[in-house]
Amino acid sequence: MPATPSDKFRPRQWPRAISPLVGAFVFVAPLLVLVAIWAIVVPVFHVNPRIFPSVGSVGRAALDSIMDGSLFMHVGASLLRVFVGTLIGIVTAVPLGIAMGISSGISAFLTPLLRFFSVLAGIAWIPIATLWFGYGAGAIIFVIFNAVFFIVAYNTLLGVTTIPHAVRNAAASLGAGRRAMLVEVLLPGALPNIVTGIRTGLGFAWRALIAAEMIATNVGLGYMLFVARDFYRTEVIVLGMIIIGLIWLLIDRLILVRLERSTIERWGMVRRS
Amino acid sequence: MSILLQGWSLYIRATHRWPGVAALIPFIPVVAVWAIIAESGLFPRVFFPGPVDVVHSFVSLTYKGILPDYLYDSLVRLAAGASIGMLLGIPLGIWIGTNRIAHRICWPVLLFFQAIGDIAWLPILLIWFGFGLSTMTFVIVYTVLFPIVLNTVLGVESVSRDLGRAARSLGASPARVLWEVTLPGALPNIITGLRNGLGYGWRALIAVEMIVGTSGIGFMMFDARRAGSVVEIMVGMIVLGLLWYIVDGWILAPIERATGRRWGLVTA
Repeated sequence: MPATPSDKFRPRQWPRAISPLVGAFVFVAPLLVLVAIWAIVVPVFHVNPRIFPSVGSVGRAALDSIMDGSLFMHVGASLLRVFVGTLIGIVTAVPLGIAMGISSGISAFLTPLLRFFSVLAGIAWIPIATLWFGYGAGAIIFVIFNAVFFIVAYNTLLGVTTIPHAVRNAAASLGAGRRAMLVEVLLPGALPNIVTGIRTGLGFAWRALIAAEMIATNVGLGYMLFVARDFYRTEVIVLGMIIIGLIWLLIDRLILVRLERSTIERWGMVRRS
Repeated sequence: MSILLQGWSLYIRATHRWPGVAALIPFIPVVAVWAIIAESGLFPRVFFPGPVDVVHSFVSLTYKGILPDYLYDSLVRLAAGASIGMLLGIPLGIWIGTNRIAHRICWPVLLFFQAIGDIAWLPILLIWFGFGLSTMTFVIVYTVLFPIVLNTVLGVESVSRDLGRAARSLGASPARVLWEVTLPGALPNIITGLRNGLGYGWRALIAVEMIVGTSGIGFMMFDARRAGSVVEIMVGMIVLGLLWYIVDGWILAPIERATGRRWGLVTA
């Protein structure tokens, strides 16, 4: 049957509205199908477990590592590093970005510097970080801090400089002091950009974390994967990959995307006007 | 104070006349501070070399031919990976963006595989392909692919359906609608996706070269780390930073801006 224009361009409407449960199922269903294909293909074609593991062996690896606590140890170590590094990065970058953005001359002067370092952010710092801090958590937290700091500072600066001067002048002429200017104009105006910066920075930081853990530590998800490779334990590698994917999906979709959307809805007006 | 102010006003005037200056001058004080800290002996020289040492090392690495060779290797890998990623990613993105069922099926899968991230594939790739070029290419293609596909889908969906309907009712075939409505409408997003993808791909390349390590800038840095040579690591970092700064600032960003201006109207 030839596709008519009307059904080719029919607006999509159905499942999303029905109920969140159905929505979740529609989202998960393709992934379940993928797992089913995996479960069928591996035994049917007698795939060597050294090349790709079966679903069962990955499940067993998951159970084993939950039982002996090693999974939680690795996941906990990775999450703690990301959390600490990101927190330090955000806490230092946002005030700095706003301070730099107040004067347009200074911000124009510093923008190339910030861009240069945000380009370097993350993985490129691993060799020097391991030399300065030694192998271990210190180097990894430094790398994550680095990935987050420069990108968030750059985006904060960008956010402050995109606030229209008319808005700042209006607030000043209505008698806003420094504090009111900061809390009610600069910070909210830059917020959409700050949140975008945090999301981008965390994306780089999460990848840098995995790379750094492969190189420079003896605990964490990246280490778990890389050691499993030495013993050809593909089931542990695939388990680790699934966990890395799930954790990032949860962080990104449940926290960052929502945060970004709500700040843009709430504060985006300031930027657009 | 007045001298400082005069200097500042001179700087402002200079940057107005030659905007290129604004991208270079800010690095002068940074290099100066770096030199002062290095000379003051606050940190051992081995751990914190000064700019002069780095320049010396840069010259000798270039003279020996190590740096140009490694740089060439890295760039070829990145270019090859990015081209394959684009060839796969743009058609896939357009297909998913125009086909409702494909979108339902592929979107969650795409999000999940994007979330796994490039580097996490490395251990199993090493088992499959060993230490070599196919492993590196796979990682880069994988990294570049997802931002391109996801952004292409967003771009295709941002094109107003009425434009497609209008074109159809004026007698355009589906292929022409694709070529003259969908593709131009999605172009700004595709370019943004390419830019993001290259940003991720380039970082992934460095990581892969560090871990897989046969040649390339990442390998040079990690090799220097094994030898404890901070100078060579710094050379690597500066070359990487400059290179990406140039590629992103002088090539990708202008293309993005130009397509946004040329085609951005369609999405509005």
